[in-house]
Amino acid sequence: MKTNIKRMSGCVATANAVKLANVDVICSYPIRPYTGIMSELARMVADGELDAEFVLGEGEHGQLSVVYGASASGARAFTGSSGVGVTYAMEVYSPISGERLPLQMAIADRTLDPPGDFGSEHTDALCCRDQGWIQGWASSPQEALDLTLMYYRIGEDPRVLLPQYACQDGYFVSHILGDVDIPSQEQVDAFLPPYKNHHVLDTKDPVIIGPQMEPEMGPGTQYQRHLAVEGMYKVFEEVHEEFADVFGRKYDPWLEEYMTDDAESVIFLQGGHAETAKNVAKHLRNLGEKVGVVRLRTFRPFPTKQVRETLSKFKVVGVVDNSVNFGISCGAGVLLTEVRAALYNNDKKVETVGFVAGLGGAMITHDEFYKMFDVLKNVAKTGKNEKQSYWLPFEL
Amino acid sequence: MAVVPYERIPFAGTVPSPQKENEGMITGNWRTRRPIVDSEKCVKCQTCWINCPDACVNLNDDKPINFNLKYCKGCGICAEVCPAGAITLVPELDFEE
Repeated sequence: MKTNIKRMSGCVATANAVKLANVDVICSYPIRPYTGIMSELARMVADGELDAEFVLGEGEHGQLSVVYGASASGARAFTGSSGVGVTYAMEVYSPISGERLPLQMAIADRTLDPPGDFGSEHTDALCCRDQGWIQGWASSPQEALDLTLMYYRIGEDPRVLLPQYACQDGYFVSHILGDVDIPSQEQVDAFLPPYKNHHVLDTKDPVIIGPQMEPEMGPGTQYQRHLAVEGMYKVFEEVHEEFADVFGRKYDPWLEEYMTDDAESVIFLQGGHAETAKNVAKHLRNLGEKVGVVRLRTFRPFPTKQVRETLSKFKVVGVVDNSVNFGISCGAGVLLTEVRAALYNNDKKVETVGFVAGLGGAMITHDEFYKMFDVLKNVAKTGKNEKQSYWLPFEL
Repeated sequence: MAVVPYERIPFAGTVPSPQKENEGMITGNWRTRRPIVDSEKCVKCQTCWINCPDACVNLNDDKPINFNLKYCKGCGICAEVCPAGAITLVPELDFEE
């Protein structure tokens, strides 16, 4: 297959995907690090490379409201944010998915205030995880481009019609260059048909989107959205297969496994830090340790079945949370909670240990991953898992 | 009130727009104060008609303006924006019906 490889950051890769997806309306408001996507898109529109309405929001709540209306009028819409910008728009997320508008929001993670720390941390995006949106993390600029295209395709599928958060770690992915194979317009057009919704705003055939309704209609409305989310598993798998056919890059929709053959203990995590974990696993393999890495690619919908089946192969799983969830069970993070829930009532007992790491944009260093693997090895050997979670670097 | 089966809920709750009035959501009984027009003062500038968030102001060529009390929630925006001071809000309890 012909390739067109260029070196670029996660932000520029996402902008290229948005251009190839031929979006109609973009709404921006600056906050780093995601703003690198918008500056590149603004340049594309100014240079005539992309024919789209580029609207400046008066804030993130305004941004999401603009793309909400745009998507309701039948436009393919794109927006994005980071950190407190993501949480400022919180009100608008549920209406967008409830009204089944498949617009896309890129999130390049940033720590929530205080303090005014602009480092990467998954907390911002994870705050919005249960709003009926698709959500997953890219671990490289190439995957950032691919996620954007795949998510539009999945979200706009008539069986789905749901919005998408295409997430990438701030800086670690958004601002570090990687080789990106940019597909041709013909490939993208073959993969991503024009956006058509169930209903559009049209003065000739007026509809009320999001009307007031009586409380007895509430349960059914929520159940419809639940069914749409639950129905996505099949669509994810179909679209990933089709993506491989068109673009030649094959991803498992749910989990990426690295050196997991006959592994006893694995690190389970999502996002760019997986690359560091893989380096460490590779080195430990050379030393004869039975270790590996499992990277979660899709957080919502959560692949309960696949996580259970895959993690059942191992003795111990170390779950790395790059977010704060103060007061959560076991004192760790939401990823550990989800993994434990997926493994509950499983025939085979799998020990899980939580690690909260890389907060505030700190690197999760090689050294820290060595220490985590050490803990896992010890749990595997002794069968004792007394301290269920560790905050790095203070507790390990 | 019986819960409506989910199959009977329109997709995403979206419904055809009523051209005039939505019988499924009558809001006039939320009102605690009723707008009353002093037709001597009213200059028919239509400012209230422009500003009413619920399209409850009826314009008539030969009669004074009046309000659709089936939907008027009594928010008072009309009285606030009226340049002639022709609209006052009167407590609902002052009315017989």
